[in-house]
Amino acid sequence: MLQIRMLTALLLVAPAVMAQDDLSKMFGKDSVSRQPVIATFKSTRVINAQSNETLKKGELDFRVAHRFGDLAGGDGGAKTFFGMDNSSDIRIAFEYGITDRLMVGVSRAKGSGNFSQLYEALGKFKILQQTTDNSMPLGVTVFGNAVVTSMKSSTEEPDASYFDKFSSRMTYTGQIILSRKFGNILSLAVLPTYIHRNRVVFMDQNDMFAVGVGGRLRFSKRLALVVDYFLPFREQASKDYFEGRGTKFYNPLGVGLEIETGGHVFSVNFTNTTAILENQFIPETTSTWKEGQFRWGFNISRRFSLGGK
Amino acid sequence: MKQLLLITTFLLTCLAGSGQEIYSCKGPKISFFSSAPMEDISAVSDRGVSAINIKTKAIYFKVHMNSFQFKKALMQEHFNENYVESEKFPFAEYKGKYAEDVDFSKNGTYPVNVEGTLNLHGVERSYKGKGTITVRDGKFNVNSKFNVTVADHKIKIPTLVVKNIAEVVEVTVNADYQPVTK
Repeated sequence: MLQIRMLTALLLVAPAVMAQDDLSKMFGKDSVSRQPVIATFKSTRVINAQSNETLKKGELDFRVAHRFGDLAGGDGGAKTFFGMDNSSDIRIAFEYGITDRLMVGVSRAKGSGNFSQLYEALGKFKILQQTTDNSMPLGVTVFGNAVVTSMKSSTEEPDASYFDKFSSRMTYTGQIILSRKFGNILSLAVLPTYIHRNRVVFMDQNDMFAVGVGGRLRFSKRLALVVDYFLPFREQASKDYFEGRGTKFYNPLGVGLEIETGGHVFSVNFTNTTAILENQFIPETTSTWKEGQFRWGFNISRRFSLGGK
Repeated sequence: MKQLLLITTFLLTCLAGSGQEIYSCKGPKISFFSSAPMEDISAVSDRGVSAINIKTKAIYFKVHMNSFQFKKALMQEHFNENYVESEKFPFAEYKGKYAEDVDFSKNGTYPVNVEGTLNLHGVERSYKGKGTITVRDGKFNVNSKFNVTVADHKIKIPTLVVKNIAEVVEVTVNADYQPVTK
């Protein structure tokens, strides 16, 4: 009898509960809670390193990157206005989003290293995107480029810029970008990289592996600290040989401030490397922070939406 | 024991009965529009959910902020990242009631007054507005427009881009409802 009474009580309460019941309970936890993480980085580049970001479909990115001369050391100081009178590398690029995950681009760079007068074709594809529910904890993006130099061939055969055939003018980069955004403040990327240069000087390497790291630390909605660093794996014999001839290789490190204002992303940075393209700054950096051989630089990105969705 | 069975049966019938009072809509069309000196901004989502209880006159809407589609991809990123902060506040939720009696058994258009609470950007605000319920053959459509002042929901617009973004946004809701079948 108690059971029945309880049930009756329940029966009386049940419709009341149903009537008052929040309609929200009907939907509960639906599938929309899994979303790709957005804005891991604000731009397709950290400083020199690629970020996991690509352009969205129909977006055109006009990019200008500039690296000045040595800020201090023998070539810097007041006489060059702390490097501002010199430019070590300049890159102007047009990049375009074919889909939300695939972008392509072309650029012209002055070049700094063995080659100058560079033309670059690049592609970048987001294979996997980090999701908000962590079912995919990492973003995986691939990047590749091919660079050709249009400089005049040297007449001296031992030179890197002695081009006996057209293919000697080519260099390539292949890269995987692993990225993760931690909360809303910190984003990190790890970049296993392979560089191939068809023509190098004696004892230099045609193939070189490197691993890079990139990071972004957000101070506010518009301002962030950006850092990137590469560790190229050059063989010891090659290092020793070049050191014996007075050339030492250094690992490129960049530190910058990134400011976002609507469609612009602007970064002011300091780097020891003189070059902007992976094909050069990873294998050919011979300037060091310690001797004042670092420089002002800036990256400007202006994104345009071409056509609607 | 027989009584128990009877009560249980009654209980089940009762639950089924209350189910027919509830109508739901998967994918109401929720859009907003604002006109600013620099550019007009509009976005639309059809990935929300909604339900109406015609007995209690309760109205419910829920939409994922990430699902709003803008004309410009960068605008969409800024909307989610900087303004509505979708990672912190993934949903907008509306709970309200309409005042008038609507005869859902008769085809026709019924103007209604709606009052309720919108939770947007983690801030609740009550709104009063007008809408229409159009009944057609046991199904119905709800259409409503109301204005949201972004500052009311603590959505900050930096002075740098204040010319690009309007402070009042017109929200339009259009949803088709069907009875919930269990």
